[in-house]
Amino acid sequence: METKDQKKHRKKNSGPKAEKKKKRHLQDLQLGDEEDARKRNPKAFAVQSAVRMARSFHRTQDLKTKKHHIPVVDRTPLEPPPIVVVVMGPPKVGKSTLIQCLIRNFTRQKLTEIRGPVTIVSGKKRRLTIIECGCDINMMIDLAKVADLVLMLIDASFGFEMETFEFLNICQVHGFPKIMGVLTHLDSFKHNKQLKKTKKRLKHRFWTEVYPGAKLFYLSGMVHGEYQNQEIHNLGRFITVMKFRPLTWQTSHPYVLADRMEDLTNPEDIRTNIKCDRKVSLYGYLRGAHLKNKSQIHMPGVGDFAVSDISFLPDPCALPEQQKKRCLNEKEKLVYAPLSGVGGVLYDKDAVYVDLGGSHGFQDEVGPTHELVQSLISTHSTIDAKMASSRVTLFSDSKPLGSEDIDNQGLLMPKEEKQMDLKTGRMRRKAIFGDEDESGDSDDEENDEISEDDELENGSSDEEAEEEENAEMTDQYMAGKGVKRRKLEELEEDSEMDLPAFADSDDDLERSSAEEGEAEEADESSEEEDCTAGEGGISGSKAVGEGSKAGLSPANRQSDRVNLEKSLLMKKAALPTSDSGHCTAEEAFASEDESEESSSLGAEEEDSENEEAVRKKLSKPSQVSSGQKLGPRNLIDETSDIEDLLKEEEDYKEENNDSKETSGALKWKEDLSRKAAEAFLRQQQAAPNLRKLIYGTVAEDNEEEDGDTREELGGLFRVNQPDRECKHKADSLDCSRFLVEAPHDWDLEEVMNSIRDCFVTGKWEDDKDAAKVLAEDEELYGDFEDLETGDVHKGKSDSDTQNEEVEKEVKEEIDPNEEESAKKKHLDKKRKLKEMFDAEYDEGESTYFDDLKGEMQKQAQLNRAEFEDQDDEARVQYEGFRPGMYVRVEIENVPCEFVQNFDPHYPIILGGLGNSEGNVGYVQMRLKKHRWYKKILKSRDPIIFSVGWRRFQTIPLYYIEDHNGRQRLLKYTPQHMHCGAAFWGPITPQGTGFLAIQSVSGIMPDFRIAATGVVLDLDKSIKIVKKLKLTGFPYKIFKNTSFIKGMFNSALEVAKFEGAVIRTVSGIRGQIKKALRAPEGAFRASFEDKLLMSDIVFMQTWYPVSIPAFYNPVTSLLKAVGEKDTWSGMRTTGQLRLAHGVRLKANKDSLYKPILRQKKHFNSLHIPKALQKALPFKNKPKTQAKAGKVPKDRRRPAVIREPHERKILALLDALSTVHSQKMKKAKEQQHLHNKEHFRAKQKEEEEKLKRQKDLRKKLFRIQGQKERRNQKSSLKGAEGQLQ
Amino acid sequence: MATQANSLSYAGCNFLRQRLVLSTLSGRPVKIRKIRARDDNPGLRDFEASFIRLLDKITNGSRIEINQTGTTLYYQPGLLYGGSVEHDCSVLRGIGYYLESLLCLAPFMKHPLKIVLRGVTNDQVDPSVDVLKATALPLLKQFGIDGESFELKIVRRGMPPGGGGEVVFSCPVRKVLKPIQLTDPGKIKRIRGMAYSVRVSPQMANRIVDSARSILNKFIPDIYIYTDHMKGVNSGKSPGFGLSLVAETTSGTFLSAELASNPQGQGAAVLPEDLGRNCAWLLLEEIYRGGCVDSTNQSLALLLMTLGQQDVSKVLLGPLSPYTIEFLRHLKSFFQIMFKIETKPCGEELKGGDKVLMTCVGIGFSNLSKTLK
Repeated sequence: METKDQKKHRKKNSGPKAEKKKKRHLQDLQLGDEEDARKRNPKAFAVQSAVRMARSFHRTQDLKTKKHHIPVVDRTPLEPPPIVVVVMGPPKVGKSTLIQCLIRNFTRQKLTEIRGPVTIVSGKKRRLTIIECGCDINMMIDLAKVADLVLMLIDASFGFEMETFEFLNICQVHGFPKIMGVLTHLDSFKHNKQLKKTKKRLKHRFWTEVYPGAKLFYLSGMVHGEYQNQEIHNLGRFITVMKFRPLTWQTSHPYVLADRMEDLTNPEDIRTNIKCDRKVSLYGYLRGAHLKNKSQIHMPGVGDFAVSDISFLPDPCALPEQQKKRCLNEKEKLVYAPLSGVGGVLYDKDAVYVDLGGSHGFQDEVGPTHELVQSLISTHSTIDAKMASSRVTLFSDSKPLGSEDIDNQGLLMPKEEKQMDLKTGRMRRKAIFGDEDESGDSDDEENDEISEDDELENGSSDEEAEEEENAEMTDQYMAGKGVKRRKLEELEEDSEMDLPAFADSDDDLERSSAEEGEAEEADESSEEEDCTAGEGGISGSKAVGEGSKAGLSPANRQSDRVNLEKSLLMKKAALPTSDSGHCTAEEAFASEDESEESSSLGAEEEDSENEEAVRKKLSKPSQVSSGQKLGPRNLIDETSDIEDLLKEEEDYKEENNDSKETSGALKWKEDLSRKAAEAFLRQQQAAPNLRKLIYGTVAEDNEEEDGDTREELGGLFRVNQPDRECKHKADSLDCSRFLVEAPHDWDLEEVMNSIRDCFVTGKWEDDKDAAKVLAEDEELYGDFEDLETGDVHKGKSDSDTQNEEVEKEVKEEIDPNEEESAKKKHLDKKRKLKEMFDAEYDEGESTYFDDLKGEMQKQAQLNRAEFEDQDDEARVQYEGFRPGMYVRVEIENVPCEFVQNFDPHYPIILGGLGNSEGNVGYVQMRLKKHRWYKKILKSRDPIIFSVGWRRFQTIPLYYIEDHNGRQRLLKYTPQHMHCGAAFWGPITPQGTGFLAIQSVSGIMPDFRIAATGVVLDLDKSIKIVKKLKLTGFPYKIFKNTSFIKGMFNSALEVAKFEGAVIRTVSGIRGQIKKALRAPEGAFRASFEDKLLMSDIVFMQTWYPVSIPAFYNPVTSLLKAVGEKDTWSGMRTTGQLRLAHGVRLKANKDSLYKPILRQKKHFNSLHIPKALQKALPFKNKPKTQAKAGKVPKDRRRPAVIREPHERKILALLDALSTVHSQKMKKAKEQQHLHNKEHFRAKQKEEEEKLKRQKDLRKKLFRIQGQKERRNQKSSLKGAEGQLQ
Repeated sequence: MATQANSLSYAGCNFLRQRLVLSTLSGRPVKIRKIRARDDNPGLRDFEASFIRLLDKITNGSRIEINQTGTTLYYQPGLLYGGSVEHDCSVLRGIGYYLESLLCLAPFMKHPLKIVLRGVTNDQVDPSVDVLKATALPLLKQFGIDGESFELKIVRRGMPPGGGGEVVFSCPVRKVLKPIQLTDPGKIKRIRGMAYSVRVSPQMANRIVDSARSILNKFIPDIYIYTDHMKGVNSGKSPGFGLSLVAETTSGTFLSAELASNPQGQGAAVLPEDLGRNCAWLLLEEIYRGGCVDSTNQSLALLLMTLGQQDVSKVLLGPLSPYTIEFLRHLKSFFQIMFKIETKPCGEELKGGDKVLMTCVGIGFSNLSKTLK
């Protein structure tokens, strides 16, 4: 039943399936199709022309090669720093809104106010630092240098604005980060078509600027003041998956985009001098390259500094732990923006900061309650001094009374004193000692408290300091007894801080040797710590004082104090032991084998290092503590057990004591270098800790300090200590040869045997021994089948193994090891075979490019692997701080305006400088005026350059290079051409791009970027010349020789130019011959032709120009808040003239005047008579004698008519007038008639045409009808036929 | 800017060359005080003055200030210039004294350096030009400094005290250096040497060769010691003779030793046989120390590693010489570079003394003098 209902299968006649079938059918018929044309018609595809073939091959290869970039070593860190996303756009385009939306999208948090960079975790492996960029060109330049990705906001309703193009150009010059356009305000379009058109137009313009196909994002509209969620989400997705190409400048320089700033200056210093230089710490993620301690940095907008200290902190916005899940949970979606007040609790080296919501440390809030406190804090002199200086007038005409007056006449005070105001009352109390004291005390106390409160943040107060000093003394006394006080809580941190390689190495030893040499330990440690380059010259006692005075750094002090308060703790238990075994072994060795003397020495050395390590753990070694510790130690040192030490050692100590106050310098210095020599004697026996030997234990080095800190006695004399520093060391022979100190006896057999294996004749390692390798190969490749003969060769070893296997079977697998080894062998064999196969087929043609790439990859792997196993503290020492770390950078001597005028909206960038990049010199660059800049640039006009990290104003000279390499000065830049520019400024590596702007202040109407280019050359001298023409005049002319004067001033000058080429204006060339005696500076010259007296002779010379050494960094960040975009440097002469209304005094000769040409008066041509005669007639001057006056008789007489005649004439005149009038009329009539006739004719013609047209129309209609009829009839006929 | 705080300060004349060379490369000014301040003859010596003059010749814009007594030197480096230079070295020290520093600086000039040095080619104090030619040049080649113009030619030999030798050193310019991984010294495959004699009997050289061979033949048969007897103008102004030996390994490492006779009129006369034997022993001593770099060139290798790209470089050295140790400290203060130092104790195999594996990350130095075209 059902089968009947089913439809019959119908073949498909169209669609893909049918096509396929058709094709198959055709193939079966061997007809093929178009795709197989090559097969179908091989002749057509044969090589027609070998040349063309070669050419096309060449072309494909070229294209392939063009795609290659030079392979570079991949230096990206494993945990990269957050990507810097710069949100840029003109005002009111929606930047802040976009940032807020993005943050909300990623973190589900809403930031009310955004100041400075905001770091967020955007994915499992990516973090973003989002920062807003306003329209200040300073900010634009700075941010373009650090940006990884730029979100370029464009107001679609308005179109592109100048800022957008400026920023694009800035980006282009400084490396071109990824740029993504975002169109906003798209909801303002009413018509869809217009919107589409605008989108398209903007997109194409954007593409021409960035690159064709650059991503442009559309944010269609706002919902409740925010962008649409879906769009923001998509944008976020785009950002998180974006890939970046390394930029040369960014990968070769370390930089930090600071997201937090703290002022570490001693509040006391600020109190006394509000304008004192500040010490600040800046925080941020390190990017780019490795940053080393003490290296040079540049802060754009502030200046150059040296990093005084750098440390890394735990990541405040860490990436989540690696887990196998798709997305982040809420806890991991971190946001960190300390400048905006987000980030919660911040940990620092010596403090914890808790954000109290909105109250920021940099803003002076002057509430009424704070006013008193503030005023008290801001007093600059003590109350005593104030009182002493204050005066009071009781009566209007009386002499003002000072405090001393009151003292003197205390009892004579009149009764009116009760009417005194509060102030005088105080005065009075002041006079009465006890009373005054009390009140003063209370005031002081109050003051103290306040200051304490105030300073609590920075971590110290005066009281604390005192207490601490005392404590310090006790502390070091205790330390002398070998007891270490440490803070329990700080333990972990501290042990992190020190260098694990040697910090803890000597514990055992210290404990063992503690009993034997307490005193020694004390003095030695002090010595060890403070040995410096040997800039001594101060007595020990002096040094103590100095030490206690020096370095009142509150931070250090506090940390010390903290240490003091700690409970006693055994150090050994606390510290992790990494390589202590090594050292103790060595130490033990030393103490056992060497004499007592040397052992004590060794112990001392170790102890001191131990001490150092501890101190370093507690805080950075502070000058204070070391100085204080010195005092008693020195005493002990002087009095006790000097005899224990070598004489040389003694000298050392004294030297060191002298230079105590310069502590903190490298501890290894002289002392250790001496030890180096000693240690090297021991080196053969025990493996020493070389690192300790070379670098010492303290990483601190401020050699700069020890230059001028010599103490002076009474300000006049210097204590000249006998400078007994190891003369033989400092002034010894400078030779690189490493002399053998204890030569071996090479006649002995065992000594000779010790180097046997260094020669090829010796024993080889297993993997390199030729015989063994051969045997192995034999084992692996031994069996093969000869295909020609069909023989099967079996490897020897293989058969062996087979035998073994047989045996094994017999043994029933007694030994599992053997089986394993066999397996291994089998695997080995397989691997080798695969390698062979790969070598033969896959890697047959490895190009140069591939090799290079492989090499780079290998290097990258090595870079990653080398320090991977070490912990960060040690790693940082070797590599420097690596990018991706969150670092805290301390900088000293920062101008106070930086702190006072701190504006978190402006980016603070710490750009690391390479070697010599901090120096200045002449920089030569290739420059081109920007095509959109309206003016041309003038040589010697100050202009602001942005090169490398810097923005600075300088005075460039423009030049062009002639074909012979001469650099010729240009007054102005060429309009549409490259030229050279040279200026005096900071040295920046060649190949760095730059841009120039005329001014960074205010708003300029047009495009602001004046020129762009690239640095070509750096030098300390420059060879730009300008043309100088010396002119002279001939005063005596012989045949080809002339005497010229006025070109030089003396015979000496002439002598200098003898043989030089000269020329006249008319083009006669000549040469200077010799100076003449008569007019000073005249000379004899010979020419190729005779000169005229009216000729001017000139000589073309080249005169070197000098570049003004003017380098003025743009310090825009130091300007007051709100005025940061008003920096103005040196003005150009033009601007100055305009400002002062000074008009340029024009050279009268240079003025343009109407050209008045006097009529040229030619003398008559005089032809001699003889010549005239000789001339043919036609050339003879035709001098016709002028017609003379017509004589009277020749003149015709006047005709006087008769009246009758006159009548006739009048009648004739009248007749002729009438006739002519008649004729005129007739002519007019004729004309009219003609016109009429023409018109009639035209009309006729028209009618005729019309008639014809109608006729034709009729005809055609009839014809058409006829035809239709015919057709109809024919159709009908056909149908009829059919039917 | 070149601020005063940027400058480094040292005392004493020792390691003067290191300091000045590193100062030139790092661009940091250096101040050296108390140069032989307590000496009867205070201040800079002739050879040091000559060295400073040489630095002045190859740089552009250097500022050198020396006080009246010559005990204080302030050096503000300029940019390395190069080009064709001639220099008369002081005869108090060998040409090696100057050449060692030039080897450090030459690859970073603006124009390729071609310098003619005149003075003492071989003496007892400094590494001779023969040794530098045989060891330092191959070392530089490892760093990618190579080319046709890279050579050191000994035109004339001069022995102390008269001098009169002449060498021509030319070196190409490089923008960046390659990182190196020299961790396998390889095995010594051949020993070459140069026995020279000037203004003495040519027989001396042969006698030296015989005695040196007698020692070295116990280890390896592939020994060839050239004899070089220079005559006439090429023989300098003083008589003398000496021997330099170089051992080459399978991996291209060169170890060297040398010995020269006492200068005329100083010390007792040296027998050529003794000299040959002692020199051979010195070579064995050097082989015992081992490593991938000769002990005289340790500092050069470390410097070039420091100046490499920001990549890891490794080198295996023998025990560090005091000069190298000081150099490492200087590297730290000038470039903030610390080396990872691992001692590799000698195991059972008979390969001499302990070795040191030095590892560092280059500072990413690029030649600032070279012009971009």
